[in-house]
Amino acid sequence: MAIHRRIRQFFFPSLTPMFLTRVFLVSLFAYLFFSYLCIPFTIQGISMEPTYPNGGVNFCWRLRYLLSEPQRHDVVAVRFAGSQVMLLKRVVAQEGEQVEFRAGRLYVDGKEIEEPYLRFPCDWNLPSRRVEKDCLYVVGDNRSMPIENHHFGQTSKIRVMGGPLW
Amino acid sequence: MVKGKYLLMGVLIVIIGIVFAVAVFPSEEKRVKKRFHLLSGWVSKSAEENSFTMLKKMKDIGTLFLEPCELKAPQESLSGSYTRQEISAYAGAARSHFSQLDFKLYDLHIAFPEREVAKVTLTTRLIGKLTSGEQVDEVRELECLLKKIDKKWFFSQVEVIEVLKK
Repeated sequence: MAIHRRIRQFFFPSLTPMFLTRVFLVSLFAYLFFSYLCIPFTIQGISMEPTYPNGGVNFCWRLRYLLSEPQRHDVVAVRFAGSQVMLLKRVVAQEGEQVEFRAGRLYVDGKEIEEPYLRFPCDWNLPSRRVEKDCLYVVGDNRSMPIENHHFGQTSKIRVMGGPLW
Repeated sequence: MVKGKYLLMGVLIVIIGIVFAVAVFPSEEKRVKKRFHLLSGWVSKSAEENSFTMLKKMKDIGTLFLEPCELKAPQESLSGSYTRQEISAYAGAARSHFSQLDFKLYDLHIAFPEREVAKVTLTTRLIGKLTSGEQVDEVRELECLLKKIDKKWFFSQVEVIEVLKK
């Protein structure tokens, strides 16, 4: 009988002040958490395939780089004017490093970098350039398209919103 | 009890008054936003758009800009001062390449650095289908300056911010 009452209470709770306060607090917490700390997003585009396929759902964890800097091979979310539209890219070089592509291979400071996450063939060639102070060089994982059709390059560190949760 | 009733009625009247005032006398921020939404609507193009609507929208786009307006978009080969006619013609030419076009605005941040001057940063997303059948999905961050003349806001400067620098 007591269990029956508890089940009924769970599905049809009495609108007591305590219950309404709890609903308000849970809603407020969820709003703040999903608006500022763990922002949900859908992936639109193929630039990070196959790691992050088009149409996938993920969350941008804002505290990822609270105590550390993004490292090479990290996937980061780069913002535009705000958090509603972001780019998902992989960090390939950090400030002060020389980055270049030769026949689809990534070279940083003249050394070839292994990129195990790449699955598609790439034939890019990009002359060497130095990553400016307080910037990161980011590229997508899908480099099967011509180099001019892919959005990549150096971006300011302050534009990094965080990283995907998985 | 009667006192409480009058108090409740008073509060209700004040709330209705505030809502009415906000609706009837929009803030400057709302007026600025409205100009952006007009631009978004006029740049967008439906698959069924006829020549008359196309010409009207072309002309309307020009009316949003100050004479002359400074455009800084080196990636789109646009740099310098342009007249309303030039902007209308450019917009018309650009729209003619699309059979369908959706110009969306995100993360509008509006500041008023001086009296009758608004500085707006925003993200724009252009999703469309070219007449050749190719899909287009381009995102840009814009920084715009608007000036208020005769109680209306006009774009006086539009700059495309480079988020990723190759």
